[in-house]
Amino acid sequence: MSLNQIERAQGLRIRSSQDMAAGLFMILLAGLALVLSSDLPLGTLRQIGPGMLPKSFAVICAALGLMLCLASLRFNGEKLAGWSWRGVIFVLGGAILFGLTIRGFDLGPIKVPQLGLVVSGPLVVLVAGCAAEDVKWKELIIFAVVMTTFCALLFKYALSLPIPLAPWLLGI
Amino acid sequence: MDVFANLGLGFATVWKIVWWAPGFLQGAFAIPLPMNILLCFVGCLVGTLIGVLPGVGPIATIAMLLPITFGLDPVGALIMLAGIYYGAQYGGSTTAILVNIPGEATSVVTTLDGHQMAKQGRAGVALGTAALGSFFAGCVATVVIAALGAPLTKLALLFGPAEYFSLMVMGLCFAVVLARGSILKAFCMIMLGLLLSTVGTDLETGQERMTFGFAPLADGIDFAVLAMGVFGFAEVLRNLENPEARDVVRTKIGRLLPDWSDIKQSINPVLRGTTIGAILGILPGNGAVLGPFASYTVEKKIAKDPSRFGKGAIEGVAGPESANNAGAQTAFIPLLTLGIPPNAVMALMVGAMTIHGIIPGPQVMTKNPDLFWGLIVSMWIGNLMLLVINLPLIGLWVKLLQVPYRLMFPAILIFCCIGIYSVNNQPVDVAFTAMFGLFGYILIKLGFEPAPMLLGFVLGKLMEEKLRQALIISRGSFWTFVERPISAGLLLVAVAVLAIALLPSINKKRDEVFTE
Repeated sequence: MSLNQIERAQGLRIRSSQDMAAGLFMILLAGLALVLSSDLPLGTLRQIGPGMLPKSFAVICAALGLMLCLASLRFNGEKLAGWSWRGVIFVLGGAILFGLTIRGFDLGPIKVPQLGLVVSGPLVVLVAGCAAEDVKWKELIIFAVVMTTFCALLFKYALSLPIPLAPWLLGI
Repeated sequence: MDVFANLGLGFATVWKIVWWAPGFLQGAFAIPLPMNILLCFVGCLVGTLIGVLPGVGPIATIAMLLPITFGLDPVGALIMLAGIYYGAQYGGSTTAILVNIPGEATSVVTTLDGHQMAKQGRAGVALGTAALGSFFAGCVATVVIAALGAPLTKLALLFGPAEYFSLMVMGLCFAVVLARGSILKAFCMIMLGLLLSTVGTDLETGQERMTFGFAPLADGIDFAVLAMGVFGFAEVLRNLENPEARDVVRTKIGRLLPDWSDIKQSINPVLRGTTIGAILGILPGNGAVLGPFASYTVEKKIAKDPSRFGKGAIEGVAGPESANNAGAQTAFIPLLTLGIPPNAVMALMVGAMTIHGIIPGPQVMTKNPDLFWGLIVSMWIGNLMLLVINLPLIGLWVKLLQVPYRLMFPAILIFCCIGIYSVNNQPVDVAFTAMFGLFGYILIKLGFEPAPMLLGFVLGKLMEEKLRQALIISRGSFWTFVERPISAGLLLVAVAVLAIALLPSINKKRDEVFTE
């Protein structure tokens, strides 16, 4: 929305913190891309090098980000809304735990054996389930077992995808 | 007639009988099964099953169900995917009518009158009309694809790299203009998608670009990883945050089949909606999204009593739903003939096709005619299946709508995790997807709509390749894009579209259309 006279008289100020942040985010990403692609040769127009397009796209991204920032000074818009860490931590954490345990990993001092779907499945359901505000443990545990069994039957047996089930227990 | 011969080939492919010898019988005997039909059926069923869930749009549905097609041959897999696509579309409409939550932009219009009808105890009629209208639109769209497929493929063979590049530029311009929300932000998303597509090994020089020296990134960002992160995980995060006001219809569903007066009222809107949707769907850059809006506006304009709209007018369901389905289907035309996905869902289909070793484009029709025509015929069969599946199963969908979200999203997550893991059997992909989930969540928080990014990402590699080829041919002169008439025309359209959208008066209208 454009401004009325009173607002115009107030001079430059951030009128949409969401747009301002969005612009800065674009500029940040573009900067990162420029740094990462700095050693790639541009090439010539006749023979475009590997750096040409990443660099040009990054420059355009930065320009668009700048426009967003300027627009956030000129037009009223939405405010930056709050951010829910609970969802981010549990949902994404659950997924990462799945990735870590399904085939095991070996990161220096920490070693996890290949645990397979029998462990990873309930793990992701239980951890992610904590993200809900109305979590009910009994229900969630039953659901985790049911979902894992269902997924094992569907993906391993009906669709025969190579997913380890429980190599440490069953050998498959 | 070529068209009929081709459709015949398609039917033969779809009806192909496979002798299935179950392992547990030790080859004692084999059962004849029309495998592709069954796949289409299963695809439609699970597509609807997932698509019905509120907050899960077609993009998330297809991304989530992609892994169940991995074990199949390409023809069967694509037929199943097409089934999933229609199922997801139709599931979205069901949610729109019963719960007043649109799964995606195209079913927003259906919520206006569909949900009102449901509140008046005519949910069954609304669903039935939507299904019948969609079926009719699907039949027409199938014929349109069959008729336009061959000539457009010939046209595509005339296209050089310069024309392809300009066509993609035009498609992206359309996508910017037709995206929801601010044009500037949509532009940002397209460019970000293009930028992400350059990550990975450069095809010509073999140099690694922006990979942090990290080996799994050398092949570039995996399409499934990006799509599931941004549309699976980030959507879950978004939904968790807004405790939904789920307004599941408590009144009776009522009879499903529209009676004679309903049919008389909706037959013309269906015809108009189909025409509008089919034409808009062919446009590159998500023209299909305009179909339902355009159809609704037309119906409201020519109605004798426009005040009925928004209060449960059956025309407001029949027209837009037909337009929606017609557009959803004709959107396959640019993909199958030119190899250029017009919207994010089709971009996902490109990803799926590539996983099965098919590169969409004009060569598909000549090299794999059974795949091309089989897919087209399966579209028609898919629409028929939807009718058969949905009408009797509506009770089940209503039950499913009552599952609380606290159980729904862990189920979505475990599906996504297994899915991503199965794409390459790489656990690290799951962690990447979680990262893109965070990325998508940031984008949502910053008010970006991520769908155009996916389109930019898919078109990016192809654009770079064509740009390089075009410039090698023209010896480094950018004039080649303007000197060649077809290319110049396409670019002109792109500029015109952008200019029109930026005009203040039109800009206002566009806001109205998207907020209505």
